[in-house]
Order: sequence, then structure tokens, then C-alpha cells
Amino acid sequence: MADQQSTAQNQGRRHKAEGPKKHIIAFIFSILLTVVAFSAVAAGEVNETFIYLILIGMAILQVFIQMAFWMHMKDRGHLYPIIGILFGVVIVITCVIMAQYWVWWS
Amino acid sequence: MSAHSHVDGQLPHEPEKATLEGRNKVLAFWLFLGGETVLFGTLFSAFLALRHQVLDGPTEQELFSLPLVAAATFILLTSSLTSVFAIQAMHANRVKSMINWLIITVILGLGFLGLEIYEFYHYVQEGHGFTTSAFSSAFYTLVGFHGAHVAFGVVWISILIAQVSKRGLNVVTAPKVYVAGMYWHFIDVVWVFIFTVVYLMGKVG
Repeated sequence: MADQQSTAQNQGRRHKAEGPKKHIIAFIFSILLTVVAFSAVAAGEVNETFIYLILIGMAILQVFIQMAFWMHMKDRGHLYPIIGILFGVVIVITCVIMAQYWVWWS
Repeated sequence: MSAHSHVDGQLPHEPEKATLEGRNKVLAFWLFLGGETVLFGTLFSAFLALRHQVLDGPTEQELFSLPLVAAATFILLTSSLTSVFAIQAMHANRVKSMINWLIITVILGLGFLGLEIYEFYHYVQEGHGFTTSAFSSAFYTLVGFHGAHVAFGVVWISILIAQVSKRGLNVVTAPKVYVAGMYWHFIDVVWVFIFTVVYLMGKVG
């Protein structure tokens, strides 16, 4: 009975095609990117700039995956959320550049 | 279930977007998250500017232990996945399963907080207090602010669990759960930058 009900519900929402699979894949990718970042640091004694680039790249990729899948940003009707977050990101990048290159500039 | 319970199948597929109020709530929450992005961005830039100003206090390399940070990262990442499962259960109209996933999310959030409290306690023992140096102040402000967000999320989701258990899932409660899920993902996204910029870059130098 309960099984029948849940099957009926599953069929009812099949057109959404919203299974756990892609979220688990997003999770595995997040874990992989995290492991790459941690092991790049743990390995150590390579080129510092190179490690920085790897770290930033892994972080941006992971955030992109999580926002697209887990926060549903890739779904339609998310233009305003994307614009809203991008406004925030522009200010953040400005602040970070200011802090990194201007504060101790002499 | 409750007095406000609905007949199975009556709830729309995406109950959080079924009413104008629900849609407005989700959009407004995105704008809030844009503001939170700026808030954390300013804390990050302050940290980046001050992270080498350690005075007599311990440096990043001396303090941070990667296994602890890796454990915290794994816990928070998993809790983000379980909150996705909660929203999926909500979309499938399985209220029990949704509540169970939310409870797991809250427990993982508490685990993360426990690790962070242990970590801060440990740092203070090593002479890394809030006022030790510009680096320590910037560190505790940034990471502590994130921890406060986790604590707030834990309380918020717990209250939502109680409310949904009492009133059931409907077009009023569903947007709340959906928005809390977004909040939790956002906390996870901020943590990705914290473990990258604060801990990993701190270890590199």
C-alpha cells in the first residue's frame, strides 16, 4: 500500500526528473575537489603560486557546482538570483583586491 | 498527521513556489544571500589584509591542523547533501522522510559546531586569543561569524522541524523549509572559501 502510493507519487513527478543521483554526483565532485585542495597543501614544498592557483580553482569550481545543483541555480527562473549574487560577488572581488594590493601598498 | 494535513497528492509538486508569497519569499531570500555575500566578502578582505600581522602570537602555520579542518569540511559538506535530500523528500511529498533528513542535517551541524568550539578552545590555550594580534582578531571574526551562522541555522531548522511536525507540510510551511535549505547551502559555500583562504592558504604561507 505504502509502496504503491510512493510509486504513484514518483510517476506523478517523473516529468520533473528530480532524482537523488545528480546530487550525489555533485557531492562526490565536491569531495574530490576538496581532497585535491587538501592534498596539494599536504604535499607542500612545490611552487607557492602554483598551489594558490590550484586552491582558488578548486574552491571556485566547487562553489559553482554546489550553487548550480544544490541551490538550483541551473534551473530556469533563476535570472534575478544570479544577478543578485553577481552584484555581491563584484563588491567582494573589489574588496579583496583592495585588501590584497592596496592596504600595504607603499 | 495534523489538523491542517492535506490529502495525498493535493500539494503541488513544488509547494514552495505554489503561491505568490512563497515565490516572493524565495526571491527575497536570494537578495538576502547577495547581502550576506558582501558581508562575508568584507570579512574575508579584512582577514586577507591582516593575516600576516601576528605580533608575538602564533602564526597560521603553527596553529592550524589540517585533519581537524578536513573533518569539519566533510561534516558540513555531508550536511549540505542531507538538506538537499530533505528538499527532495518535500518535493515528493514525503513529510516523514523530509523531517528525518532535516534532523540529520541539524545533528551534523551540531557536530561541526562542536569541532569548532574545540578548535577555538585549543587555540586560546596556545595563546591565540581574540586580542592577541590583528591576525587573531580577523581570524576569530571571520570564522566565528560563520560559526554563528551555523548555530543560527541549527536553531532555525530545529524550529521548522517542530512546526512542520505540528502543522504538516503545506504552501505556508514549504517555502520556509526551502529557504532554510538555501541558507544551509550558502553556509556550506562560505565554508569552502574559509577552508581554502584561511586554513589551506595559511598552511602554504
